Amino acid sequence: MTQSTTPTTAHGDPTGRSNPEAHAWGEMADDAGAARILEQALSAVGADVDFADVRLIEAEELRLYHRLGADPDERIEHNLGIGVRVLVDGAWGFASRPLNGDADVVAAARRAVAVARAGVGLGPPVRLPTRPGTSGNHRTTVLTDPFLVSDARRHALLAELLAGMSGPSVVRDAQAGVNAKRQHRHYADTEGSRQHQHLVESGAMMVATAADGHDVQRRSFPNSFHGNTGGAGWEFVLGLDMPGNAVRVGEEAVALLTAPVAPAGTADLVIGAQQVSLQIHESCGHALELDRILGDEQNFAGTSFLSVADVGRFRYGSPAVNITSDPTVPGTRGTFGFDDEGTPAIRTPLISEGIVKNTLSSRDSAARAGLPVTGAARSDGWAYLPVCFSTHVHLEPGEGSLDELLDRLGDGYYLDDNRSWSIDDRRLNFQFGSEIAYEVRRGRRGRLLKNFSYGGVTPQFWGAVEAVAGPEEVRNFGYPCGKGEPKQWGFLSHGAAPMLVRQQRIGVA
Amino acid sequence: MSGAAEVFTAGALAPAVDQDEALERLATVVNTGGADAMDAFVMGRTGQYTRFADGRIHQPQDITELQVMVRAVVDGHAARAATSSLRGLERAAAEATRMARSLAATASAPGMAAVASVADYPEGNCPPGEMLRYASTAAFDEGARVRVVRKAIDAAAAVGGSAAGMIGRALSQLVVATSAGIARATTATEAMAGLTVAVDDSTSHFIDLGRSADRLHLGRAVSATVAQAVAGRGRAELTPGEYTAVLGPEATAELLEFLPGFGFSGELAAAGVGLWSASAGQRVASDLVDVADDALVDLGLPLGFDIEGVPKRRVPFLGAGVVGSPVTDLRTAAQLGGRSSGHAHIAREEVPETRAANIGMRTGPSTEADLIAGVERGVYLQRFWYTRLVDRTAGTITGVTRDACFEIVDGRLGRPLAGMRFTQSVLALLARVDGVADVARTVPVMNVWNGAITAPAIRANGFRLGAAPLKRERGTA
Repeated sequence: MTQSTTPTTAHGDPTGRSNPEAHAWGEMADDAGAARILEQALSAVGADVDFADVRLIEAEELRLYHRLGADPDERIEHNLGIGVRVLVDGAWGFASRPLNGDADVVAAARRAVAVARAGVGLGPPVRLPTRPGTSGNHRTTVLTDPFLVSDARRHALLAELLAGMSGPSVVRDAQAGVNAKRQHRHYADTEGSRQHQHLVESGAMMVATAADGHDVQRRSFPNSFHGNTGGAGWEFVLGLDMPGNAVRVGEEAVALLTAPVAPAGTADLVIGAQQVSLQIHESCGHALELDRILGDEQNFAGTSFLSVADVGRFRYGSPAVNITSDPTVPGTRGTFGFDDEGTPAIRTPLISEGIVKNTLSSRDSAARAGLPVTGAARSDGWAYLPVCFSTHVHLEPGEGSLDELLDRLGDGYYLDDNRSWSIDDRRLNFQFGSEIAYEVRRGRRGRLLKNFSYGGVTPQFWGAVEAVAGPEEVRNFGYPCGKGEPKQWGFLSHGAAPMLVRQQRIGVA
Repeated sequence: MSGAAEVFTAGALAPAVDQDEALERLATVVNTGGADAMDAFVMGRTGQYTRFADGRIHQPQDITELQVMVRAVVDGHAARAATSSLRGLERAAAEATRMARSLAATASAPGMAAVASVADYPEGNCPPGEMLRYASTAAFDEGARVRVVRKAIDAAAAVGGSAAGMIGRALSQLVVATSAGIARATTATEAMAGLTVAVDDSTSHFIDLGRSADRLHLGRAVSATVAQAVAGRGRAELTPGEYTAVLGPEATAELLEFLPGFGFSGELAAAGVGLWSASAGQRVASDLVDVADDALVDLGLPLGFDIEGVPKRRVPFLGAGVVGSPVTDLRTAAQLGGRSSGHAHIAREEVPETRAANIGMRTGPSTEADLIAGVERGVYLQRFWYTRLVDRTAGTITGVTRDACFEIVDGRLGRPLAGMRFTQSVLALLARVDGVADVARTVPVMNVWNGAITAPAIRANGFRLGAAPLKRERGTA
């Protein structure tokens, strides 16, 4: 076993304090306690494996929702377990168990080996290039621990949001929620890596649904899909200015009921940051996952229109399109010090001036494709195998404000906040609908429109991007994302500024 | 058929938790907690999955998961706490009680939360053990699964193609106790298989799941999937337009998955939104369309009760095309002035909401080949992908076709078709169904624990293919 060679500390808590509440359930005493269990699992795996890694994860999640006409719904969920991955004679094996005692650690390790042995000899053996062990600690910077925010403050915030959204009588349903998660992720492998990460997330959401007997419309904030969650403390929730947007959300849901339906045809568009973030997710992030490119997800999540040979040469978009994977950006969901197979977080250009430069890869996929490991092997906790999930994948900003972008648009449409999304299994043919859209005439927003949609083909769409707004317009949006069999959640984010796209097909659904 | 004891000793498919111990401890904690009322459940799943692609098993997994959740009610206000082992049960109960007390202390009025009582919800018609647990699934171990994988890989390679998929088995457990006297526990096996065969530009897909591994008929499935992938080579573009369509079982199931969102969920019904609120008792679909959520039939993934301990009732969504009832939990049933149908559900990252968990469509007298034979010019659509709701009122969704799709000419499958976008009212299509096949298959419902939809192939005219703009249409018979 290689000894640890590269101590690493990334984004440490500037106060240097540990959080005494981080182990409120009293299961894991500290990093040393976790380390002992990791060593126990590695020992139980045995010496005759090609490779093994072990992840011990303790997570605690807090969710509080208020809903019109219903009692508040509050829950706290605690989860502790271990996942063991082994490579035996070129065959992978994986087993996971909730941690209820030492027997579970040994059981997981032995089952992982047994599972691997059952598949030995089927197909070409996996050869994972060795690497030196990397050890270190990583901790999310947190100003206000979301778990220490009083019940009264959280409930008062949500009650205020509900009251703000539900003023008009045709708002038939309204929901507001806050969430927080803290995770202690511990990792060890037979190459000598020993890593401890303490991650915190905080988030909030609200959505209003209006109905008048003829139509149903909804508006949401700050993200139409599960709200928004960042890698930060309660300060992230406060920074969203939820109260400042609640009345608008309710009023816009109502206004949409009587708004004219958006037209069909071809038009120039300015797409708002939230919708751009989803466009990145569906038509860039997934298409650049190397396991999809290699066909590993063909039965379920699909493949990619890209091939390994496209890396370094394929024109994905216009020169205005620069997309980066960067899990080192503080405050974003999908930020970490090490991915779930121990690769240190690194900033990686995925698309530079429209050309594909890299993929989102794991060690296994990178080895098979002969491409760099980009630290995107991620899993939904201890129970599941790491697969290629996005990290914080963002569109690099250009220049100028949203108003300047609208001015440059001239005549067209401004749309934002996703209403529906669909893309084929190769990530080419897409259709997106938005919650809200406006006519734009001579650079100024005009009539509100409902049921706006646009569709196209991925490289043609990104090839039509004329400009991206500047850093002052960038927003980051945290997402959950499903993949794998059995399906697991990945938690990630996309940063985006509004962008101007020419000649898009609209009114497609 | 087999009892639980046989399953538990037939290999490594051990239950996630000792059921008797779990029931006893839940019953103790809900009756000694410091809240006005309390319910608690243990949800366990031991799953073994053999995932393969590119000529190898790339993700073989043995996963055991356990969730122990307690809900405490104080002055009608409820809060939940959960953990991942029975060791944390008492702590979860204390946390839930603390949060419920805090809610009650700051509330301006009593809340409406309650737990299910054995008086209100006596033992229902729970599926018998022989409908839930199968020795064939217990025997479906790594070795058996690897043999199927090898057969699929070899069969695909023999025609110059490749195979990718996942074959697995699981043991699910649900144990529930309430302070009002409910104490229920159940264990069920599950076998599942998904396979995609790719040959040149063609792909074909198979999926099925259920309690019994024998019913998957994997040998036949592998052969049929490979043959269909071979037949699908040389895909052609189809002119956008409206076609008579024969939907394969998986495609039908994907359409039916939208029904709860059209108004058959308790939340939508209570809010007065959707199909049930607007059209209860009215015919909106063909009289060949009979769809219900029924967890008591030997189909899909039957299970006797929900996480609140309420026995599941059959809930008709579309009875011979007529709008039936929504699924409910304790809360939405109270709002609607009725009794819970046993469909309480909590999903990760989501607000707790009622969920239909075992939707099934009644089969018909025709074979799939009969349905195809009755089409002069149309399309066969095997599978949809990434379908999304566009318009709840009209029941319109958008998505793309995927895998083995063919033109139908003079009652026979013709040239294979490339994947294509569609935007279509599900309700309008169901109103035009004129044929239902005699064989159904089951697909899982994402993000719903133990969720499944079972459907046969159907035939309907007027399926709109292509991204052309469409006018709103509403399902009417």
